[in-house]
Amino acid sequence: MKREFELASRREFFGQTAGIMAVLGTIAAQRAQGAEQKATNPFAYDVSRLQKTDPKLIAYEETACWKAPHSEAKRIAAGPDDSLYVCSGNYLTAVSRSGERGLEFAASEATRCCAVAKDGTIYLGLRDHIEVFDGKGARKAAWESAGKKAWLTGIAATENDVYAADAGNRVILGYDKSGKLIRRMGEKDKERNIPGFIIPSPFFDVEIAPDGLLRVNNPGRHRMELYTPDGDFEGSWGVTSMGITGFCGCCNPINFALLPDGKYITCEKGLPRVKVYNATGEFESVVAGVETFSENARACGPSDCTAGGLDAAVDSQGRIYILDIVTGDVRVMKRNV
Amino acid sequence: MSDSPKSEPSTRRTFLRNGARIAAMTGLGALGGVLANRTQAQEWVWQIDPQKCVRCGNCATNCVLEQSAVKCVHAYAMCGYCNLCTGYFEPEPNALTTAAENQLCPTAAIKRTFVEDPYYEYTIDEKLCIGCAKCVEGCNRFGNGSLFLQIRHDRCVHCNECAIARTCPGDAFRRVPAKQPYLLKTTHAH
Repeated sequence: MKREFELASRREFFGQTAGIMAVLGTIAAQRAQGAEQKATNPFAYDVSRLQKTDPKLIAYEETACWKAPHSEAKRIAAGPDDSLYVCSGNYLTAVSRSGERGLEFAASEATRCCAVAKDGTIYLGLRDHIEVFDGKGARKAAWESAGKKAWLTGIAATENDVYAADAGNRVILGYDKSGKLIRRMGEKDKERNIPGFIIPSPFFDVEIAPDGLLRVNNPGRHRMELYTPDGDFEGSWGVTSMGITGFCGCCNPINFALLPDGKYITCEKGLPRVKVYNATGEFESVVAGVETFSENARACGPSDCTAGGLDAAVDSQGRIYILDIVTGDVRVMKRNV
Repeated sequence: MSDSPKSEPSTRRTFLRNGARIAAMTGLGALGGVLANRTQAQEWVWQIDPQKCVRCGNCATNCVLEQSAVKCVHAYAMCGYCNLCTGYFEPEPNALTTAAENQLCPTAAIKRTFVEDPYYEYTIDEKLCIGCAKCVEGCNRFGNGSLFLQIRHDRCVHCNECAIARTCPGDAFRRVPAKQPYLLKTTHAH
């Protein structure tokens, strides 16, 4: 018996279509949910909470940002007249607070660190030796090499002495102004109670505090150390922790600067962040957290952890200049009122 | 003009003896061929390229074995022997001790041993390791990357289509010669 084909009414057509759409939607949603569940790693290593900084801890705000004069920027230092000196590529460039270039000269190889004495003399660290320039950029001397393994990464200068942090030999080298090596400091010595530096990657810095003592980072031990100009170990501070108050990873802090009142500005890699510690080493505040340096955080990996990193310089007004080694940005940070 | 030598008709005994000999030789040849083929099939084995591994966790869950043939291995020459080993400790441990709550590994497969101040040695207990790569991620994220995953061939059953390779998001699985079955990290990239 032949069955007649009946036309569906508009109401039936829309009803049936809606029903089919609902069923297809439900199936698609379940599949998507299943795929999402499958993609979730039950063994995920979650550090997302460490990549966010509690806003209450941030005591500084960015007032300006400018680019380093050349690519491959490594270090930034403040001079006696509050001008800034940036080591980037083979160049040393004097830069004003707003990023305008002043004096600039090129060295024979990559510039790695610098310090400017009160009389304007510039001490420029190359891989294995220091070169001395006057305030106009004329080379006055090239000091003797510190050895085949030498890898200079930090310099500090007083009126009479120059100290160089040699990451390759894990030692602070003390020179007089003529370039004569006077002493080697910080090498492991049980009799003098000197623990020795642990430098897993080439980040090693030295500064001279207003109290006359040398501040040196010991990144493998996650702490700062204090030495007399004669090389006696005076003490240390620092907590090994991934939390905001401590230092973590293979090697942190990597670089540091001192505020006029003796407080420390520490720079870290891995979790790139810049923090303030008081003169006795107690955590005070954050200058800039991980979220400020997202590209830097990505660049620093096991294939090349020297690719990431930050450096800081401080002027006489307490303004902090943070150099991002990855992006070449220099961020000018001012304390919140 | 000489007569060509005529072959002498073989006896039944000779015929059977020669036939048996030929059959034996053929059998030996076939056996040799089969063995050669089988040996050739085992010349390649699966392995993980540590440079491509993305530490997704699939190695722990997708292997056909009840406990994965993928294990964490340690390149001691690269290790920093850190006190705060980010492959051993939880991201924010209560203390830098071996207490269970401080350990990152879900099966406590990493052993921490004091060497000298401030160095510690970390060794993997492969019986406990499930190949989840949690420690590998921690070590890669903040350390030297000396912990990495490898397929251990004393356990691997050499599936033709490796169940983990099929789903590896980093395309890190590849066949390597059985004579050199591991892709080891040997030097630090610094």
